[in-house]
Amino acid sequence: MLARYIIRRSVQSFFLIWLSTLIGFTIYQAAPGGPVQFLEDDPKATSADVERLATLYGVNRPIVIQYIAWLAGEDWLPQSETWRSGRCLADPDRCGKGIIRLDFGKSFYFKGQPAIDVIIERMPATFILGAASLFLSIVGGLPLGIYAAIKRGRLPDHVIRVSTVLVNTVPHWWLGLLLLIFLGGYLGLVPLSGMYTIGDGSLLDRLHHLILPATVGAIGGWIGFSRILRFEMLEVLNLDYIRTARAKGLSEKAVVYGHALRNAIMPFVTGLSGIFLLALSGSVLFETVFSWPGMGRLFITAVNARDFPVMMALFVIGSFLGVLGLLMVDILYSLVDPRVKYDVAN
Amino acid sequence: MNLKLSRNYLWIMSLVVVASMTLAACGAGTAPEPAPAEAEPQEEAQPAEEEAPAEAEAAEEEAPAEAEAAAEEANEDEQISEAAKASEESDITKELDLGATVVSDEEVTSPRDSELFGGEYRSVSTSDAVSFHPYLISDSASRGYANTVYYRGLLRYDENTMELIPNWAESYTISDDGLTFTFILRDDLKWSDGEPLTAFDYEWTYEQAVKPENGYPYLSQLEFIESVKAVDAQTLEINLTEVYAPALGQVDLLTPLPKHIWENLPWDDPEKNPEILSPSVVSGPYKLVEWQRDQYAIFEANENYWYHGAPNIERQIIEIVPDGDVAYQMFKSGEIDTTDITPENLEDAKQLDNATIYEWWSVSASISFVGLNMREGFPTSDINVRHALNYALDKDLLTEEVMLGQAQRVCSIYPETNWAFTSDVPCYDFDPDKAIELLAEAGYTLQDDKMVDENGEQLTLNLLYGPNTNQTRELMAVIIQDELGKIGINVEIQALEWASFLEEFRSAEPTWDLVLLSINSTPEPHTSFPWWLEENIPEMNFSAYINKDIEQLFDEAGATYDIDVRKEKYGEIQQIIAEDSPRIFLFFSKSRSGQNNRIKGIEPTRLGIGWNAEEWYIEEE
Repeated sequence: MLARYIIRRSVQSFFLIWLSTLIGFTIYQAAPGGPVQFLEDDPKATSADVERLATLYGVNRPIVIQYIAWLAGEDWLPQSETWRSGRCLADPDRCGKGIIRLDFGKSFYFKGQPAIDVIIERMPATFILGAASLFLSIVGGLPLGIYAAIKRGRLPDHVIRVSTVLVNTVPHWWLGLLLLIFLGGYLGLVPLSGMYTIGDGSLLDRLHHLILPATVGAIGGWIGFSRILRFEMLEVLNLDYIRTARAKGLSEKAVVYGHALRNAIMPFVTGLSGIFLLALSGSVLFETVFSWPGMGRLFITAVNARDFPVMMALFVIGSFLGVLGLLMVDILYSLVDPRVKYDVAN
Repeated sequence: MNLKLSRNYLWIMSLVVVASMTLAACGAGTAPEPAPAEAEPQEEAQPAEEEAPAEAEAAEEEAPAEAEAAAEEANEDEQISEAAKASEESDITKELDLGATVVSDEEVTSPRDSELFGGEYRSVSTSDAVSFHPYLISDSASRGYANTVYYRGLLRYDENTMELIPNWAESYTISDDGLTFTFILRDDLKWSDGEPLTAFDYEWTYEQAVKPENGYPYLSQLEFIESVKAVDAQTLEINLTEVYAPALGQVDLLTPLPKHIWENLPWDDPEKNPEILSPSVVSGPYKLVEWQRDQYAIFEANENYWYHGAPNIERQIIEIVPDGDVAYQMFKSGEIDTTDITPENLEDAKQLDNATIYEWWSVSASISFVGLNMREGFPTSDINVRHALNYALDKDLLTEEVMLGQAQRVCSIYPETNWAFTSDVPCYDFDPDKAIELLAEAGYTLQDDKMVDENGEQLTLNLLYGPNTNQTRELMAVIIQDELGKIGINVEIQALEWASFLEEFRSAEPTWDLVLLSINSTPEPHTSFPWWLEENIPEMNFSAYINKDIEQLFDEAGATYDIDVRKEKYGEIQQIIAEDSPRIFLFFSKSRSGQNNRIKGIEPTRLGIGWNAEEWYIEEE
């Protein structure tokens, strides 16, 4: 049953990923400008220059053909300028093979570097920051949620609720910028940019650079986690077995941590796989603010430069990870909670 | 899940939360506003918000990542008069004799004082380079990197006279018909690996660059060249398709690449040609040591550098930072040696103990103006309306209010620092009465504080600017709206995001009447020609201004090497344009740069601050 379910969901997932590339491509085409826009406002380049480069890159082909070439490659297309890019016409070795053959294409902005190389180069930074943020948000968010639940309706609960709402009303990246200017600029407590000091790169130095971006990145998680956990805890604390536990004289500690937390935390653990995607999307803002050399910053660069191969590659990778996360959540649910059944019959 | 939950821990957590809230709340009041313009560093990096052409930058970008892309700049009156004086003295009066040979007697090989050698020069940039390939790149960050490792400059502008003088070439000759330049290279030019740098490198590089499939973005800039030929290792012969005045400066676009290294590598494929992303054999003042994408780049002095050997400063470090605010903080704390000083930071920066703010009037300063739409059907197609608008704007006041003394009023298409500049043009000093008079001639009358046409409809003009995050332009737009409002003209402001702005202001069927722009000028006056060509409507000639006399004059000025003739023609052009008023000229900005006091030997000239960067040295205090 489960195997069939997974297969069916995987097929759906691929369809979903394809759909997201279509949406990404449409948005890209609808936006003004294109990969050669950098030349259009450059007085040194004439319109003939722009035309020549557009043909070379193949970006003046009809939109549908550009999408087909990106999806399935251009080496099988007819030998003409309408169908193939100038590069492909001049040298068959340089034809794009298309995403279905795992060729993400060559970046325009990065002057012919393979889009996937440009991305892979920046992956570790994003994962480090994402993992650190996640860690901090769990360490910060769980206790807050538990505490708020235990003290429900009393002062600590109100303080936590009001303060998390307040912090949440401020854009986190902006808060990050302020903290950066205050803590880094005025007090000199944290470095102003980058992943490590040039020429240093020791673990301590890296942690020093990581602390502020990771903390700011964790704020959203803190708030989210503490609220979810508070809600789940309250639900569980009202259940009969907790009353039983209390009735048989267990200490409050044992009741809360031994019995309530274990059950309350379940939906939370399964939800973590989706968090991965959240970290990725958050990275776009935080990486820009903290000049963190990761994929999020790259995405901004690629969008601004209308660098369509890099942008689309990030889209595909992002949606792949997202879909994978969702799939994992579903499967995890069935493993964790035997009551969940996958009925593929209907 | 054995979370130890102590009261202590929670107390600290809540404290952190409350503290950061307080901080956020206070921050809103006291910390400098995160300027929206800075929030999108990419905007700056994109080619040409300020439209900075090549020759100008060659001079300025010697010091890598000077990030001179620079904002609106600015200043004091004594300085301008000094610059103006310098310009009078230095007018190029010397005629370039056809057939004659110009020889340099400059001694360039004696090593520098070894006591000055050493140290690191640390700078930052808000956007990283993408490649070192001089024939693929187009963004200013990459140009900065490429100019650090690959030298070019058969000739260079003299920092005092603005004349082109022999540089890498020891001498040059222009043939009698003006169609052949012969450069004799210095015989001791070397690549960083010790191999001689010869005319063959030039020839080979040129041949690759002009192949259309190699994707050089600025191929049209090389069209004036018929052929590049290495007669022997030292003799480089460049044949032109026609007599073209700016050619002598423009041959500088040819950056030679080391043929002996590159010959067997694919020209433009970074996957198979490692030299593109990490050049190992270079000709510039510095060699690349390490480049961590989006983080930093480290360069070290090239001991085989042609001009007196290795530059004084041993290492250059360029770090990538999120925005100008952060850069400024690092500059203040002495973490970095240089940064751009925005008008908002200027007062604060001048108070710094550890740094000096250098200011100069650059030959490539940006000129700000209001472009007028001259197409049929727009009110501004009437010359009386254009003159009226010109009189109605108090340009002195605007310059003062917007640029806080960091700019100088301008009335012509060239700044005072350019050799082709003439002051003999109509300047339209503030005179609202005259404006009303002229509008009356155009059929508008002032009724109940409203300027109305014969149908009684108020004269309404659309003012376009971009990017919408640019606070300087926003301020300018509001002031213009206010000033024109005083004579009853209704101005509607439209601000657009950069890409949409470009699309709109260069649209074939625009809806704007007025557009706010600034364009960088260049040492070579001829560079502005394309802005006035009819065939460049609507892209570069966005005003749709058609005047065949100007095209004729530019053609004539471009077809001679005689400086006096050229000066006269450019003078006439400036007069005609000022008379026709396709643009309302506002001001040209002062350039400035903050440098840490430990950096010595800095002498900004009209060429910029980086022209003698090899001579800078570090003196720890």
